[in-house]
Amino acid sequence: MNPENAIEVRNVKKKFKIFYDKGNDLKDRILFRNRNHYEDRWVLKGISFSVKKGEAVGLIGHNGCGKSTTLKLLTKILYPDEGTVEMAGRVSSLIELGAGFHPDMTGRENIYTNASIFGLTKKEIDRRLQEIIDFSELEEFIDNPVRTYSSGMYMRLAFSVAINVDANILLIDEILAVGDANFQKKCFDKLREIKAHGTTIVIVSHALEQIEQICETSYWIEDGLIKESGTPKTVHDHYLKSMEEKRNQQLEKQHHQENQAKPPKLETSETEQLPDFCEKTAVRMGTGAVRFTNAILCNLQNQKQFIFNSEDKIKIILEYESFQPDLKGNFGYGIFREDGLHCYGTNILIETGSYIPVQKKGRVEIILQNSLLPAKYFLDIAVHSHDGIIFDDIRQVLSFVVSSDKYDIGVCRLPSAFSWR
Amino acid sequence: MKLFKELYDYREMIFSLVRKDLRGRYKGSVLGFLWTFINPLFQLIIYTIAFSFILPSPIEKYYLHLFVALIPWIFFSSSLQGGANSIMAAKNLVSKIYFPREVIPISYVTSCFVNMLLTFIIIFFVVIFSGVGLNPLAIACLPVIMLAEYIMALGLALLFSAITVFFRDMEHILSIITMAWIYLTPVLYPIDMISDEKIQKLFYLNPMTSVIVAYRDVLYYAKVPDLSTLAMAFLFGIISLVFGELVFSKLKIRFAEVL
Repeated sequence: MNPENAIEVRNVKKKFKIFYDKGNDLKDRILFRNRNHYEDRWVLKGISFSVKKGEAVGLIGHNGCGKSTTLKLLTKILYPDEGTVEMAGRVSSLIELGAGFHPDMTGRENIYTNASIFGLTKKEIDRRLQEIIDFSELEEFIDNPVRTYSSGMYMRLAFSVAINVDANILLIDEILAVGDANFQKKCFDKLREIKAHGTTIVIVSHALEQIEQICETSYWIEDGLIKESGTPKTVHDHYLKSMEEKRNQQLEKQHHQENQAKPPKLETSETEQLPDFCEKTAVRMGTGAVRFTNAILCNLQNQKQFIFNSEDKIKIILEYESFQPDLKGNFGYGIFREDGLHCYGTNILIETGSYIPVQKKGRVEIILQNSLLPAKYFLDIAVHSHDGIIFDDIRQVLSFVVSSDKYDIGVCRLPSAFSWR
Repeated sequence: MKLFKELYDYREMIFSLVRKDLRGRYKGSVLGFLWTFINPLFQLIIYTIAFSFILPSPIEKYYLHLFVALIPWIFFSSSLQGGANSIMAAKNLVSKIYFPREVIPISYVTSCFVNMLLTFIIIFFVVIFSGVGLNPLAIACLPVIMLAEYIMALGLALLFSAITVFFRDMEHILSIITMAWIYLTPVLYPIDMISDEKIQKLFYLNPMTSVIVAYRDVLYYAKVPDLSTLAMAFLFGIISLVFGELVFSKLKIRFAEVL
């Protein structure tokens, strides 16, 4: 092992036995011997990395990719089937907070129990006791049984113990979401302090910003292999992009399925059937003097589209027919985010200052510059008379999804130029 | 050797688990820790009444004869049964945190052991008041016997706790075994009752026989136990501990996967 390194993981493979029908007792073993079939599932397929002393690294990846298994191998809860894991120094893991807490015992007593599980001796705990109590901010409750604590207090106490176990290597699994914002900040500062003192840190988290703030390197694990490693920001951007692509594919598939799985029309239905171009959830109102016959969302090349980029131009094509002569109408649309937020709405009157004559059969096209941020949206369309009578109004006529390569947040993009001196 | 060092580093964990077990057991009850004494005291009173009036025994002071053997037996059998289940019961710790796995059965057996030691306070009282009296030389042997029994119980707890993780029936099989075992051990009767020497030798193959006989020698007969009995007890203890740890260390690396 390289003396500069705190952790060396070499070509580690790990498999789990997945039992089709697990029988752990005698009856099952004898009677259903042939049921004891199992399948080897390789969770890690050969992972190698090393962490220098005093360095912090993050492990990221979607659920089930093997990152938590990797962490468990580092703590020696699990052992690799192939390859080696070497660690230099005392390891403390913040995987399970409050291990061994007894609800009837006081906070103080539980500090001793909990810290002893991390391998501290009584003397060492005595020395840290005050620090732990101070950090948890539970001074006045420390001699009450922990069952009287709120869950936040409980976690604060547990975290204080775990983080005050002067370890050489600290392993953290998804637990920085402890307590209120103040306490979280405190935990984070403490982590930085620990790191500054030369402790090696490995974090598994979905909170990518946290990793970016504290780690030098990020490992993106996918399907039991390291897919990418490097500067956290770069790795995370690639990771997020791939996640988004996956999600969009799923959405598109779902959208496709939903539209195909439309229930057959019932002729006895009292409410008017929605035409085929509408979403299933659409709601239609209006006198019917003018009726939309089609609504399409597409790109400028008139190709129907479901997913748009934040910077795309979107074309809405509306086709209608009229059942009364000589009408003047006002066509408009509105966009709502999935959670009901009204993002935008406008109509011909607002944009041009006048109504347009309604044809027997006509078509209205709207080209808009999208600047909405990633989410699912619904389109509403309507046509009104000049005195406000609703001819036709279809809420949620179409849905679409916006994706983006940038990670700005909010409702829509406000193009921003930064300058500095 | 590495294991010893590691266990030594984790000694505070063993202490605190024992403390938690002992204190947690009666937590919330009004009499609390007193129950540790009340329980065996009433056990003794009931036996005294039962074997004096209801089921008189030809053995003199049968209640004492029984009591000095039964308390060590209870330690042994509860270590065996509870110890076998100890890893399963500590599932949350074992599957989430690293520590030498031996800590769990060790602290379980130790807490049973401490419980027995506390009960011995009552035994000493009874031995003194019943007129048997304490023979200092014999009493000096007591720690040796206790140690022999402790390592034997620990060895078996290690062995069966590891097996139970992979084979859950072990727990129930063990409860039947201990039920039978008490009759194969001279707890309820004196070893001399087995008159045939060959069969008696056979009985001594049961590791608990030497232990129980030695306890009874010290506390009931107030005499120093045979050296051979003591040696036997120790030998069995060491065999059990070595074998138990051997199996345990083989199986422990897969605990977290199965739990």
